[in-house]
Amino acid sequence: MSAAVALQRKLEADSSAYQKIQQDYSKAVESRQKLDSQLQENKLVQEEFKLLKGDANVYKLIGPVLVKQEKNDAITNVDKRIDFIQAEIDRVEKQLKELQEKSEKKRMELVETQTALQQQQAAK
Amino acid sequence: MAQQQKIELQDLDLQQLVEVKKQLEEELSHLTSSFGQLKQAQNRFADCIESCKAVDDSNKDKTILVPLTSSLYVPGKLADVKKVIVDIGTGYYVEKTTEDAIKFYNTKVDFVKENLEKIQSTVAQKQGNLRSLVDVMQYKMQIQQQEQKAAAAAGKA
Repeated sequence: MSAAVALQRKLEADSSAYQKIQQDYSKAVESRQKLDSQLQENKLVQEEFKLLKGDANVYKLIGPVLVKQEKNDAITNVDKRIDFIQAEIDRVEKQLKELQEKSEKKRMELVETQTALQQQQAAK
Repeated sequence: MAQQQKIELQDLDLQQLVEVKKQLEEELSHLTSSFGQLKQAQNRFADCIESCKAVDDSNKDKTILVPLTSSLYVPGKLADVKKVIVDIGTGYYVEKTTEDAIKFYNTKVDFVKENLEKIQSTVAQKQGNLRSLVDVMQYKMQIQQQEQKAAAAAGKA
């Protein structure tokens, strides 16, 4: 009987751990999507800077006011931002892979415990 | 999701079909709302083009009312009709000639249009999927009913 209780406990612990991993996974997917849209927007801005004429004025919106910016500063700023977002994407991508492996492992464990429990009940 | 494999609709039981239907409907509503948002963006860009066209030599030095908020205006004079400042995203604004600004907004409109077409074809495809799914569901339900009837008849006999 105590073996069955232990198995039952393990099953509960495993399934809550599995759910936790799934939650983390969907959170990571969400941030991956957000990063992607930020990357797209920054790329569009970068393209637009390339089309700019040499003497064009560039402004940045800070709060409700437009502040004049040095064009080269703005360009390097956006370039840096794209690098940063790219690095973030790589990081989240790695995280996603790890989570996927972890969830797969947990799922196998869960199935194992479940079958063990069923076998024990059948043996009774 | 990890391994996509082809599954015939016929092989699924009713409950699974209901699940798939729910998923398809979610995707469809997401796509249609994106479609609406893109359509709005397209209209906004088109409005910008119209506004740029109004900034020309014939309107130089004319008095205008400048909106400070949606309900507060101050009188102003159109001093410079050659240049406008355009929002290019992520908080950056650049000065452009009106012609360049119109060009800029035209590329934006085209860009959005392209994506609208993409979404439209995806929506059509998903709707087709949904329709065949519902057909299979109805077929399965009929069979189930017949089976139940047959079972009931067998029980009576």
